[in-house]
Amino acid sequence: MKAKKLLALLSQFLDADSKTQQEEIKSIRTVLKELKNKERDLRAKLADKIDTDPEDAEALQLKLDVIYAQRRKGVMKVHALKRHLQTSENTETKSD
Amino acid sequence: MLRRFTLPLVLLFLAYVLWVGSEFMELALGVAFFIFGMICLEDGFKTFAGGALETLLQNSTNRLWKSLLLGFTSTTLMQSSTLVSLITISFVSSEMIALAGGIGIILGANIGTSTGAWLIAGLGLKVDIASYAMPMLVFGVLLLMQKSKIIKGVGNLVLGVGFLFFGIHFMKEGFTAFQLGFDLSTYSMTGVYGVLLFTLIGTLITFVMQSSHATLLIVIAALAVGQVSYENALALSIGASLGSAISAVIAGFAANLGGKRLAAAQVLFSLVTTLLAMLLINPLMQLVDWMSSCLGIGAEDYLLKLALFQTLFRVLGAVVFMPFISQVESFLIKVIRFVPKSIEQPIYIYPEVLETPSTVVAAVRKEVQHLFDNAFGLLASGLSLKRSTLESEESLSAAVKATRRIFPIDVENAYEEKIKSLHSEIIAFISEAQMRESTRAATEELYVLRQASRDIVSAVKGMKHLHNNLSRYGLSANLAVRDRYDQIRLQLARLLRELQVLLAEEPTSTTALALDSLRLSVQKASRTMTDELDEMIRYRRLTANIATSIMNDENYVTDIANNLISAVHALLTKEAQETAESFNLDDVEIQQLIDKEAGLPL
Repeated sequence: MKAKKLLALLSQFLDADSKTQQEEIKSIRTVLKELKNKERDLRAKLADKIDTDPEDAEALQLKLDVIYAQRRKGVMKVHALKRHLQTSENTETKSD
Repeated sequence: MLRRFTLPLVLLFLAYVLWVGSEFMELALGVAFFIFGMICLEDGFKTFAGGALETLLQNSTNRLWKSLLLGFTSTTLMQSSTLVSLITISFVSSEMIALAGGIGIILGANIGTSTGAWLIAGLGLKVDIASYAMPMLVFGVLLLMQKSKIIKGVGNLVLGVGFLFFGIHFMKEGFTAFQLGFDLSTYSMTGVYGVLLFTLIGTLITFVMQSSHATLLIVIAALAVGQVSYENALALSIGASLGSAISAVIAGFAANLGGKRLAAAQVLFSLVTTLLAMLLINPLMQLVDWMSSCLGIGAEDYLLKLALFQTLFRVLGAVVFMPFISQVESFLIKVIRFVPKSIEQPIYIYPEVLETPSTVVAAVRKEVQHLFDNAFGLLASGLSLKRSTLESEESLSAAVKATRRIFPIDVENAYEEKIKSLHSEIIAFISEAQMRESTRAATEELYVLRQASRDIVSAVKGMKHLHNNLSRYGLSANLAVRDRYDQIRLQLARLLRELQVLLAEEPTSTTALALDSLRLSVQKASRTMTDELDEMIRYRRLTANIATSIMNDENYVTDIANNLISAVHALLTKEAQETAESFNLDDVEIQQLIDKEAGLPL
């Protein structure tokens, strides 16, 4: 179900013009930046808790793992979109 | 309006009385010390609640004679029938003791109260107990200053007994001084009117002081110095029995259905006992005289005779009441039922909002948040944690470990009042909105919000099941069991705190993404718990029976958690959800993370 949804999103992206595609990449990058900030905050909290409250530290580490996985997913998507954008631009140049 | 001025008026009146009649000072000081002593004792016993006291209560109420014996001995030891009644009400409320068992304890406690009269009559007025009180206060304060909670509890107990002894001493002195300026005996009455008047006075004194022990002490002290006649003192002590039921009524107001029924049973029993004692006062006096001569109590030793009278009429009341306990139980269950009084009303959904699709969605979203807020409070109480604790930054693991009692809440009642009614209103409102012209997006959002409301209801229903076992095993003496339930409570408490924080903050693109880590921690906790339980069964640290109960409860917690996460996901604005979609981890990715944490090959 999730794969189908992603494919639909990708095809929607492919159908959009390059300006819309650039905007989408930009919005993903904004989220990536927010996630990075959040990760930094959590790391600071973890440093405080690691000696005083191991249970809380474990919960924070878990959040960090999730954010890392989410960021990796986002970065991979940006790469995929950029590659596609480049390929389509090359095709357009050749046809010109 | 009147209540605001009651306390200042009482204080002013008391100050005036103490100023004008200095002979009243010692008596009032004695009463104050006595009541303060009882407060210290109550605090001291609370320290040990959740341990030996509660385990004893659970195992000792399966038979009527056991309940009676338990009520009698615990009241004799604690010297406070009020404390025993209040604890019993809380146990009946949490369904750990059946109503019949609770009634048995109350009957036993009522007889146990008379031991106080024997102690005061036999010791209090003959021995200089103030000399015992002083070292007790010194040791009590010293123990109270220690860090350990148990030693502090012992300190409170010693301090409590010390203040009780001091209270007795000052009341005795006070009555001697009081007698010089004011003679109560001039108001003494004989016959039926005397019995009626002094019973009423006894009831009023006990009602004001909230302690039949304190009343008995006053009666004995007054009798010792000749302030009241023997006959009037008997009537006063009958009134003390009725007055003590009033504190049960007050506790009953705060308790749930079970507690209310038990409080009603106590009032019924006190009325029957008082009525019997008033009607049979003359035959009882003759019986006291006869028994006194048999026991070697002197004919003029009115103090011990009063103590004997106390015991006789309380035993008589219990004997008369005992055969009808099951009938009384069924009668109370039939008569005292749940009546929905404070049904929660919707705040945001009303007919005017139906005008445009966007206002409908916004109003329903807020109302579902209101429902979530109610569920939050109910679930926090279900976990025996204060709402304020979850809303603060206090350490939750410390709060869970420090729990001394499981809150005796009636989840069923609370569900009917705070959740079901509001859910029904939301569903009715959405149906009404769908009859009108709407956009496709609004219809879809309303569908999602309706599901969120249902998820919240399912979470609260899960708590209904969980709370039963939490009440039984949550504070188990078996540390392995208690630890598992502490884990369950901590997990849910953390989730509630995180979800509330997420809903409170301004939604950003990463708000919905935070739900992924909550999903992961729920799955991880479930897996850890299952592994631990398997190991415990294998090494015989838990019986399979208890382990399956914990497994069932763990399932309830996982369901509650997943329902709450889904509800909050729906409550976040659509924009916040859409941006997060590209980043949200799916079930496979979450599973991979769990495997990674557990060190399994990916």
